[in-house]
Order: sequence, then structure tokens, then C-alpha cells
Amino acid sequence: MKKIIYLIVFGIAALVLLGGLRSSKVDSDFDLEAFAELPVQVGGRIKPLDSVARNTLLILSGRQKVVTDEGVTLSPIEWFLDLTMRPELADTYPVFKIEFPDDLGLVGLAEQGQRYYSFNELLPYSEELSRLHGEINPAPELRSPYEKQIADINNGLIRYHRVMHSLHPIGGAERLDRLVDEYQSYLATIQAGMVELRKQQAGQEFDPALLKRFITFADDYLKLSTTAHLRVVPPPPPVDPLEDWKNIGLELLDVMKGDPLSPYVTSYASLTMAYRSDDAEQFNSEVNELRERFIADFPGDISRVHYERVFNALQPFYISMQLYVLIFLAVCISWLRWPKELAKAAFWVLVLAFLIHTFGLLSRMYIQGRPPITNLYSSAVFVGWGAVLLGILIEKFFKNGIGAAMASLVGFCTLIIAHHLAMTGDTLEMMRAVLDSNFWLATHVVIITFGYSAIFLAGALAILFVLLGVFGSRFNKDTARSLSAMVYGIICFGTLFSLVGTILGGIWADQSWGRFWGWDPKENGALMIVIMGAIYLHARWGGICKERGLMALAICGNIITAWSWFGTNMLPVGLHSYGRMDSAYAWLIGFVILQLVLTATALLPWRFWRSEFGQANYRKEKKPSLIAAEDSEA
Amino acid sequence: MKSLFQFFSSLKLTVVLLSLSLILIFFGTLDQVQYGIWHTQELYFESFLVVWTFPEHAPLGQHLHWIRIPMPGGYLLGGMLLINLLAAHFNRFKLSWAKCGIFLIHSGLILLLISELMTDILAVESQMPVDEGGTSNYSQGFRENELVFIDRSHPEHDSVHAIPASLLKPGKRINVPNTPLSIRTVRYHGNAEIGRATSGSPAESIATRGAAVRMGIIVNPKPETYSEDEINTVTAFVEVIKGEDSLGTWLVSNVMDERFPPQMVDAGDRSFEIALRFTRHYYPFEIELIDFKHEKYPGTEVPFNFSSEVKVTHQDSTKNQKALIYMNHPLRYEGLTFFQASFANQDKTSIFQVVRNPGWLLPYLSVLLMGLGMCAQFGMHFFKFLGKQRR
Repeated sequence: MKKIIYLIVFGIAALVLLGGLRSSKVDSDFDLEAFAELPVQVGGRIKPLDSVARNTLLILSGRQKVVTDEGVTLSPIEWFLDLTMRPELADTYPVFKIEFPDDLGLVGLAEQGQRYYSFNELLPYSEELSRLHGEINPAPELRSPYEKQIADINNGLIRYHRVMHSLHPIGGAERLDRLVDEYQSYLATIQAGMVELRKQQAGQEFDPALLKRFITFADDYLKLSTTAHLRVVPPPPPVDPLEDWKNIGLELLDVMKGDPLSPYVTSYASLTMAYRSDDAEQFNSEVNELRERFIADFPGDISRVHYERVFNALQPFYISMQLYVLIFLAVCISWLRWPKELAKAAFWVLVLAFLIHTFGLLSRMYIQGRPPITNLYSSAVFVGWGAVLLGILIEKFFKNGIGAAMASLVGFCTLIIAHHLAMTGDTLEMMRAVLDSNFWLATHVVIITFGYSAIFLAGALAILFVLLGVFGSRFNKDTARSLSAMVYGIICFGTLFSLVGTILGGIWADQSWGRFWGWDPKENGALMIVIMGAIYLHARWGGICKERGLMALAICGNIITAWSWFGTNMLPVGLHSYGRMDSAYAWLIGFVILQLVLTATALLPWRFWRSEFGQANYRKEKKPSLIAAEDSEA
Repeated sequence: MKSLFQFFSSLKLTVVLLSLSLILIFFGTLDQVQYGIWHTQELYFESFLVVWTFPEHAPLGQHLHWIRIPMPGGYLLGGMLLINLLAAHFNRFKLSWAKCGIFLIHSGLILLLISELMTDILAVESQMPVDEGGTSNYSQGFRENELVFIDRSHPEHDSVHAIPASLLKPGKRINVPNTPLSIRTVRYHGNAEIGRATSGSPAESIATRGAAVRMGIIVNPKPETYSEDEINTVTAFVEVIKGEDSLGTWLVSNVMDERFPPQMVDAGDRSFEIALRFTRHYYPFEIELIDFKHEKYPGTEVPFNFSSEVKVTHQDSTKNQKALIYMNHPLRYEGLTFFQASFANQDKTSIFQVVRNPGWLLPYLSVLLMGLGMCAQFGMHFFKFLGKQRR
């Protein structure tokens, strides 16, 4: 029996892992992996095209895949390939997610149950959409959900259009199939065209046909230079890492100044022609040529770009998220049956999930060259990581599954939050100047975020105490005592980290703007966590609250921490504006209400507690009054 | 008496005070949306009592605007906590190794409270803009103003006689230090709009001399703003008196700066320039900006570094020095700290934040005490717990 339980749990875990690995492989004659690793400069960093494809798709669709009307699933890079090279095909893919299409009031657009729309489906409504967009509130933070949806669709369409133009000019088949010729005839026209242009300006006789051809090119590429979204053309070697890369349009325009045309431009043109004529061999050799050129020019960057592509494909946080669910379920079942084996198996899966989570965290640090937390997204990933680490430590001491269950719960929730925060686009962005300090990012930010982890874990444990105590029947004094000890220990930990982190933040502030303390919302939030911890500890040491009251305080800690983490970012003030957000307000309020309900539950009189522990306390409470009643009768 | 001492040293009081601080900080954060950081700080944390009002512009604001919550302010709570802590130590604590952690944490906390109070009272913040290739020997406050009389008769230096704007109470007469003059404030506006009188509007003005008369300037009072990116146009009508004779009434305002022709007060043998301006702090040294750099991440507008190369020339030439001021790396000089704060004028002007805070080292000390204390306290708990687990 024992072995079977282990086998089942580990079997499911292995399935999750394999599922993650398998989904990252794509079968195709075209060398998609090499294409996905071609470089692009975004946000001050060199990234693989794969990252751009994923982020664009996340913003448009809220997911990292495309399901065509025929039911075929495309990976982000396949979609990107079609978008840039076979736009006529890509325009039929449903990639625009519209949550409430009925609300838009566009007659004929909304179809029952359909949430994803293709460019071609939206095209007939483009005028109407831009009219609606003109009427919405110009201040993004004041928009209603309806207005936000309009804005999202409009911005999505613009982004779609701009990303489509990233690798070369877009046109009908006759243009895309002859890109190389187009560039050649452009190059051949430049010199003569410039001569004719000067003649015209000087009032001399000129060749109108030649000049017209030249000006048509120039106009077209000028437009392209403002449309093309991606900087895919590196400067010619030797390369300065701080130099701006150009987009295709700009590179084509600059040829007029006498610069040679970058080979990257022509390579992308040949690549497009090969892909359109289904010539995998030609495509692969062009891709490899591009790749070799990049390696020669940027020998220090290729390994990181490659790593980022692999990291994107593995999606470690997604795998650990699934494992956390498995662990939580396993532990819950273990409390009903087979406690020993199942809890033990769950513990080892927790360790595995933690290692994968750690791998993801370290990978991001390597790719970005930064300490782990640089924005709200990465803080969410880190809060979960810290909570799981603490949960593993608790589990090592108490060995009753409680630590594992609650750690996996917090880990899962924070990764879900991270997943939703990622919808806004790139999560590996550059830091503003004042935040650009690896030392302080590594100390202040990490420590304070670890404090969040601890307080949330303590809050989760306290919630478990309340739920088991009020609704469970088998919850006894020993479990209550060990849970109390856990909460106490974790809060000590959380208070220590919050205090040290807050103080380090003060020192950083003193170093960067001469104010140790400025009463900025984020600072206040951190201080509130410290004070909450101090209240808990003093209430415990002074015997002011007993177990129940302490648990209520620990749950309040959740509210304070959520406020400090997210609430303060929603206020339109302050210096810590690195993680501003306008939505998620409703979620925060919902969370706070839930915590208040749980706090109230913790304070229910003992007679409503169904558990052994609660009933024992009820009897103890009743005794003095019974004795008093007997006394009066006598 | 004893019960009073018991009350002040009780842990219950600690918990109550801490809870009240939590509430105070929460509302003190919320109200920053309305009042900005500076004003909220004064209302909540540098006060004894504060009343929170449900903001009118929040959702449901019209219906709930009547809600008011009074609460003790920062000075009251901080003071009470200090008393509570000291009383508790006198009453309960015996110095022992087991308690040394708590003792250290609490002394750190006391030091921190004191240093915050010192900062509130003593710290002065101002800004110093310097152009590339230019120099400056003063910095300017960005909220405080002063009324100045400048005597430019000396060929080498000017003498400045200043009165803080906070003393300009209507009707009050003040002697201008070291001059034969005194002033009487006729009218004072914390914020105002200033413009030229148009043909339609009446050009009625209390001013009898100076630019207001010459240019037909009129003043419309406005409520004070607390926003961080706006400034208050402090404006006053000031009557200047020599002996017992009135020399006339001038309009002065902090928007009438160097761009305007100076307003002169003729006091017989000497004449003074009169102006209301942001409070200036003069230093016995000059800061020269040699080069300002503003670097961005490639392909973006996101800055990754601002830095200013400066040369400091002191009247005492042994104190001359060169320095590079950039993010997180200020220049500490003569009790002042210069931070890279901002820039202007197409990256040709660098703006430094100048802070004088005599207590700046105290938080560092308190941090050290608290950190050590926490490690000792929780370390002891942890090892005790480990010991129990082993058994």
C-alpha cells in the first residue's frame, strides 16, 4: 500500500513535468528554434524574438498560444512567423481577446461564447472602434471597465500592426515575394534619385519618372520607420553595447546618407521569401547565417539570448504552480487517510516544486543580470518562493503536513498573481535610475519581500487554525499548540525581516535623497507590517490575547501586508512608483473582506467551535459560571 | 500614583498605542492623495491630534463626506510610546542576558524616535540648480519664502536683509534688521494668481509704488496647493516705513523673480531692492558644475544614470575639492549633503537637493542596536525551540 501511494504521487508529478517539457517542443521542417533566438533590442536589452512573440501574444490574448479556427495550436514563435511573413494568414487567427464583446455595441461582431477574434473579424469595425476610442476618458486610471476594454482593443490593434511591420515592409503577395528585388532596385535608385532631387531643387531639368520612383521609396520607408516596432538591426561592428539598434525602416532610410545597408535587412527579406515559398532548406540556411553573424558581432550575448529562449519554453513557474496544487490536494487527502505516506510523498514533491521555482528565479536573475526582485511581477514570484522555503523548514520540524499544505497554497496563489501581472507585457524590464542599485535591490528589497512571505504564510496557518477549529471535529489541543508555535515562529521571522528591510530602505532613501524617512506610502506600508508584528508579539508576551486572539491578529497581518504590497501602489502618490497598477482594485477589496470574515470567525464564541479543542475551551469557560451558579443555589 | 505608573508601564497600553499608530499611518497614507506628502506629514505625524474626513472626491464621497474620525497624532503617540517604554523598563525589566535582546531593540527604538523628532525640527532641505560651466553659492527652499531688502551699493558684495514670509501677518509692523526701515504687511496671500489688468477689469490695487503700479498688475487670491508638482505663488502688499514716514506700498510675489526689473525702495542715503522670494541659504563656498551626464538605456527613453561632476571652491582654500555626484552617491560636505535630484534646460542644468540634517547618523546607530537586539532575541528563542525539538 505504502509503495502504491508513493508511486501515484510521484507518477502525477512526473506527468506534470513531462507535460511541461513536451509542450516546449515544436515539430516543423523550419528551424524554428534558431529563428526564435534571433536578436532584437527591447527596453535596453538584447532579447530573442521568442520573448517578443510571447509578450505580444500575452498582451493581445492573455495566453502564450494561438488556437486557429481549425483547432490547430500554434506556439508564439509560429504565430510571429506568420504575422510578419504571411500576414494574410495571420489576419485570420483569433488573437484579440475581448472579454465582453456584447458590451461594445458593435452590431454583428459578438458571437455566442466567442472570446477571441481575428484581425479580419475586427476590420469591418475599425472606424467605429476608433470613433469609440476618441470618446473615452483620456486619463487611463479613471476609465470604466467598458472604456478600458475599448482602449485595450485599440492599443492591441496598433501593436499588432506595428509588430507585423517589424522585419520588412508589408504589402500584398507580389511585394512580399520579391523583397530582395525591391531592396536591390531601391539601392540602385538612390544615387541617381539624389541627383535628380538636387536638380529639381536647383530648378534644373530633371527626370520625373526616376525622381518619382525614388520619392515613392523614401516615403514608404519613412512611414515604415515610424511603424516598425522592433529594433532588429544591430549597428555595424565593432559594437558598442550602449548604441541604439535601428528598426528596419530607419536602416533603409539611412542608406540614403551613404551608409551601407545592413546584411540583417536583406537576410530577413530572403528569410521571408523562403518561408513564403515553403523552402525549409533555404530558410534554415538563412537563419543560420543570421545567427552566425550575430554570434560574431555579439560573442558575449548569444548564450544569454539562447538561455532566455529555453527559459521561455520551459515555463518553470507554470510547472511549479501545477505541482503546488498536487501537494495541497495530497496533504488534504492525507489528513483523511494514509497520513504518514501521503504527507511524506507530498513533502518530497514540495521540495521538487521548490527547486523548479528556484530554477526559474535564478534564471530570471541571470537573464536580467539583477537581484531577484525588480518589479511587482518578480516580487510576486519571490513572495511565493519565500513562503515555500519557510514551509519546507516548518515541515522539517513538525512533520504533520500543515507547513507543506499552507506553503503550497501561498506558493500557488502568488504565482497566479504573478501570472496575471505578466499580462501587461515584458516582466524583465530595465530599472529607472534611482532604483538602479544592485546592492540595495539585493538587500532592502529582497529582505522586505521575504518579510511579506513570512507574514502571508503565518496568515495562512492562522486561517487553517480557525477553519479546522471551528468546522473540523478532530482538531485537538496538540494540533492547536503546534499551529500556534508555527505562527509565532513565522511571525518572529517576518517581523525581523520587515524591520531590517524597512530600516535598510530608510538608509537607501537617506543615500539617494537625503531623507531617512519620508512618510511615502510604500514606506508607511512597510512600517505598518512591522507594527503589526510588534502588536502580535507584545500581545503574546503580555498574555493580552490567547490563541484565538493571536490567530485573529495573524489574519489581520494578511490585510496589512496586502495593503503594503498592492494597496499602496494603487494610490496615485509617492516615490515608489515602480509597480503602479490601475486594476486589481476589486481583487484587493475582495481579499480584505475575506480576511475580515475569517477574523470574525476566529472571534466566534467557543460554543460555536465544533472541534475537540473548541469544546474543551467552552467547558473551561463555562466552569466558573457553573460553580458560581451552584454557589448561589446553595 | 502607583496605579498611574502601572498604567503607563503596562503592555496593554503598548498594544493600544501600537494599534493606534497603525490606524494613524493608514489614514496618513490615504490622505496623501488629497493633501500631498508634505501637508499630510504635518497634519498626521507632526501633530498631537488629527481628524480624518472622508474625502469628497472618493467613490461615494458626496454621501459619506460627513464621516469624521479623530485620532491622536504622531507627536502624541510617539511621546506616549516613549513614556510607556521608559516606564516599562523602570518598572519591570531587570538587566539580564536573557533580556539583552529586548533591551537593545528598545534602546534602538528610542533613538529612532528621537532622531525622527530631531529631523522634523532641525533638518533643512533646499535645492541648488547649477548650469554647466556656471557656479552657485546658495540653495533655495521650495516651500518657504522670505521678504528681502538688498543693498547693492558695495562694489564687491551685496548685503541681504531677510524676513521669513511666515512673519508677514497683516497689520504687524516689523523692523528690517540693520536698516533704518520697518515694514507693515497690508495683505498676505499664501497662493494667488497674478496678471496684468485688462481693459475690462478694474485695475484697482492697494499698491502705490513699484511694478504693480507701473505695469498694472492685479492679484486674485487662490487656495493653497499641496501638490508636489505645483508651487504656491506667495504674494503680499507691504508698506515700507522709514522712521514714522510711509514710503509707499509695494506688491511683492515669488513669481516676480529675476525676469522682472528690480523694485527699488529709496530710503534717502541708501536704496534697497525689495523682493519676495524662495528662502535662500548662502554658503561660504561655491559649487561649479563641470559636466552633467544623463544616460539612457539603448533604444529607450529610460534613464539609467544621472551624474554631475562638480568642483567646490571654499573661502578657506584648504577645503577645496572635486566630486562626482550621482544616484545613491551624494556629496557630504561641511555638514551638508548634496544629492543628484533633477535636471533641466536640455541636460545643461543640474539640480541638487541640499540637505542639512545634524542628526543624520542617529538612524544608522539605532538600526545597529535594533538589528543586534533582534538577532539576539529571536536567536535565543530559536535555539530554545531547537533544543525542545531535539528532546
